[in-house]
Amino acid sequence: MTLLFGHLIDLLLAVSLTVLAWRLLATSDLFKATVLFIAFGLLMALAWVRLDAPDLALAEAVIGAGITGVLLLTALRHLDSGARVARMSGRSGRRSLRVLLPALGIMPALLVLLCLSSPHIRSTAGLTASVIERLDQIGTDHPVTAVLLDFRAYDTLLETAVLLLAVVAVWSLHPVRPIFSPEPISPAQRGLLRLLLPVLIMTSLYLFWRGSHAPGGAFQAGALLAAGLLLLLLSEQRLPGRWSGMFLRLLLAGGFMIFLLVAAGALVGTGTLLDYPGGGASWLLLSIEAALSLSIAALLATAVIGGRPSDRSTEFPPRRKDPAGEEG
Amino acid sequence: MNDLSVYAAAGILLFFIGLYALFFRRQLLSKILAANVMGSGVFLIFIGLVKQPGQSTDPVPQAMVLTGIIVTLCFTAAAIALAIRLKELNEEHHSATRPEDDFG
Amino acid sequence: MILADFLLAQPWFVWLILLPLGGAASTFVLPRRVAPIGFCCALLILAGAVFSVCQLAATGSLTQAAGHWSAPLGIVLRADGLAVVMLATTAGVGFIISCYALGYFPARGHEPSRARYFWPLWLFVWAGCNALYVSADLFNLYVTLEIVTLAAVALTALEGGAPAVGAALRYLLTSLVGSLTYLAGVALLYAGWGTVDLSLLSQVLTEDPLSRTAMALMICGLLLKSALFPLHFWLPPAHGKAPAPVSAILSALVVKTAYVVLLRLWFEVFASFDRAMTAHLLGALGSAAIIWGSLMALRQERLKLLIAYSTVAQIGYLFLVFPLAGAETAATVWTAVILFMVAHACGKAAMFLVAGTIQQTAGHDRISQMAGAGGPIGVLAVVFALASVTIIGLPPSGGFFAKWLLLNAALATGQWWYCPVILTGSLLAAAYVTRVLSWAFLDVRRNVCPVSSRVMKWPPLALCLVALLLGLAAYGPVRVALTGAPVTGHVLVEQRP
Repeated sequence: MTLLFGHLIDLLLAVSLTVLAWRLLATSDLFKATVLFIAFGLLMALAWVRLDAPDLALAEAVIGAGITGVLLLTALRHLDSGARVARMSGRSGRRSLRVLLPALGIMPALLVLLCLSSPHIRSTAGLTASVIERLDQIGTDHPVTAVLLDFRAYDTLLETAVLLLAVVAVWSLHPVRPIFSPEPISPAQRGLLRLLLPVLIMTSLYLFWRGSHAPGGAFQAGALLAAGLLLLLLSEQRLPGRWSGMFLRLLLAGGFMIFLLVAAGALVGTGTLLDYPGGGASWLLLSIEAALSLSIAALLATAVIGGRPSDRSTEFPPRRKDPAGEEG
Repeated sequence: MNDLSVYAAAGILLFFIGLYALFFRRQLLSKILAANVMGSGVFLIFIGLVKQPGQSTDPVPQAMVLTGIIVTLCFTAAAIALAIRLKELNEEHHSATRPEDDFG
Repeated sequence: MILADFLLAQPWFVWLILLPLGGAASTFVLPRRVAPIGFCCALLILAGAVFSVCQLAATGSLTQAAGHWSAPLGIVLRADGLAVVMLATTAGVGFIISCYALGYFPARGHEPSRARYFWPLWLFVWAGCNALYVSADLFNLYVTLEIVTLAAVALTALEGGAPAVGAALRYLLTSLVGSLTYLAGVALLYAGWGTVDLSLLSQVLTEDPLSRTAMALMICGLLLKSALFPLHFWLPPAHGKAPAPVSAILSALVVKTAYVVLLRLWFEVFASFDRAMTAHLLGALGSAAIIWGSLMALRQERLKLLIAYSTVAQIGYLFLVFPLAGAETAATVWTAVILFMVAHACGKAAMFLVAGTIQQTAGHDRISQMAGAGGPIGVLAVVFALASVTIIGLPPSGGFFAKWLLLNAALATGQWWYCPVILTGSLLAAAYVTRVLSWAFLDVRRNVCPVSSRVMKWPPLALCLVALLLGLAAYGPVRVALTGAPVTGHVLVEQRP
């Protein structure tokens, strides 16, 4: 009976994913498409749960639905053509917030649920056996973290390079550019933000800690932290001018550079790329992960914000004052 | 192949829906969404085919898909930045002549 | 002696990945020192590439399992002949482009931000290319392809105008489709055989619907990325609108990355498959690309667009390899295509760099208004002519030698109909080059032109000379290219009557 029920859920999920994709791509109302896309991301997360891939479910919920959602909603404000902005100038921003806040609020709850329900990997399909066999040789108990940080660490190194590259690419395009809604957010919304932020940070820390033995880890924690940073920006917090130069750049590149130094150090020491000393001691993996998490959070948030910080060390991202005051 | 391949099938559908929309939608943001849907399709195919019923999922493709998700996000961020820049440049270029254009 | 041993023991091909990555991160962190850091990095990479060629000649091809985790679980890096030739070519061409970029993107000019972002992005492209050449892991190849693409897209948009940004966006979306299609193929292969390692796959892979679908998907994705006709639509605007050093990077190096992956798949992973039809299809598309690209080049009004269409045509030659690779001729076409890539990289980079100098000197790149270029542009026109020798395929250039090997293979396998295609391509190339030169030398009416910096004049000449003399010194690259190659046979095949 439960098996049949499971099959039914699978079928339902698969069909609704397809229908949702079709709807979101068929509509010409971009706001609607974006909202549907966020829903699509959440359904994808459920699909990952059904496929017994809790790490992916976490990543999809935070990245696919959360970060991409924020990215798309902010893009909408800039991409809405002149006539439409004039017609509904204030509304689009508030509508964005109205979607964003519940989405960001549901996320941590969903994540905790996901974490608690996730089973431990126990069997032997594909390379599972050979991964589990070698788990005791390295400093982590969770197979996916082991693959990411040890067995296929070279992929992860290059992936971090892609993240840094994305920020360089985004910065190379835009002059300084303010983000988000010009109108102030309501006190109730601000209160909600204040409430959400510690929850997000705590969940992020929890995910990071779990990464060593259960689903979770640097990427998911970093992405959740990025969501927190974006919330801070929403509540009109800014990075002070003296920190938006070298400090910000070091924060962004730091995780990648530390990872790269470890790789180069191993190459000098043992002649092999990423051959960790002591077979990958847990403290080494943990410090790489910590640096990566912080950098990933900063990188994702910066990539979503868009414009680069100004040379004249002003706040980052700059506040929007009036349309004429923007730097071109 | 197994009885969870319903997800792989959905993945294949998503892949083609995304491909179709990418080529035939005019609006840039729709094209970007379409690429994301395509990506989700590929990831679903990946895990859907690897997953065996009653067993837990192979961690290696999980790590690969995680990498894929991050890479796709990076491309989305870059694509959106490009689209916004293109819009700004077009507006600077003919702000008076054509208020409405097809970049949305 | 100890030093020599030490140098031989270093895994240079791995350093060639880490060096540009480190350079890219440092140029990002220290934006005021981009040019010196970037240039030092280019020098170091050049030295590393020289060492890695020596190492290959001394010890044969090398492999390294990252983190000591061997194949099905870990990622294997492999420096065989193809990889090392491409590493060396990229290092040489890249070094010249770096010199040129010092003049093209002045750090203290009126637009310092372009220099500031050119260097990290360019070093990312470089790192991605190097990582791609040595990777023996299908998924890792996907990640390296994405690094190359994302950096190349941002470099294209660096020009700043709406056409360039639009071209970059189209390039990004097209490439994304290409790499996702490729990734779908990788997923199928992993689901079927539980590994993504090239050499393991080539041992276990059997021909069944799943693997054939995977092959089709991966080839389609890579064709889109390497811009084979009729999937070339994104290439001319991107290459034509980008800043000149970037066009050189894109045309000389970036389009070949997807092709190198394709070569590895074709000659290694899917080597045992029956794929005569696919081969002939690719050959036909390649032929169409040669003719169509050349004709379009002939019609262009802008110099850089002309060179971009010439790239479309030249990519066509690369795909003639697939039908021409028979049991006897595999080694011939393998050498031919590697020589062709080297010669084209040098020649095309030189052409784009010269076009950039002409554009800055004359203030535009309209071919019909280059009349009267006798003065400052005269020298540049000579360099342009020298660069085009290898593109046309005149002796003694590398392009000539490569085309000659291809003709040889076509006759040896009895597929004579590729001969007229190759010859027509050469004739049309001669026609479009002559068209540019005839305008440049037409009448001498000296305009007052700004004098461009030295680094923008002489580095392209070095590339021209390399491409020109490659045919004379082809023995070296041929020997290196055949080290550890997945082909057998002789380089020169005797024709059967």
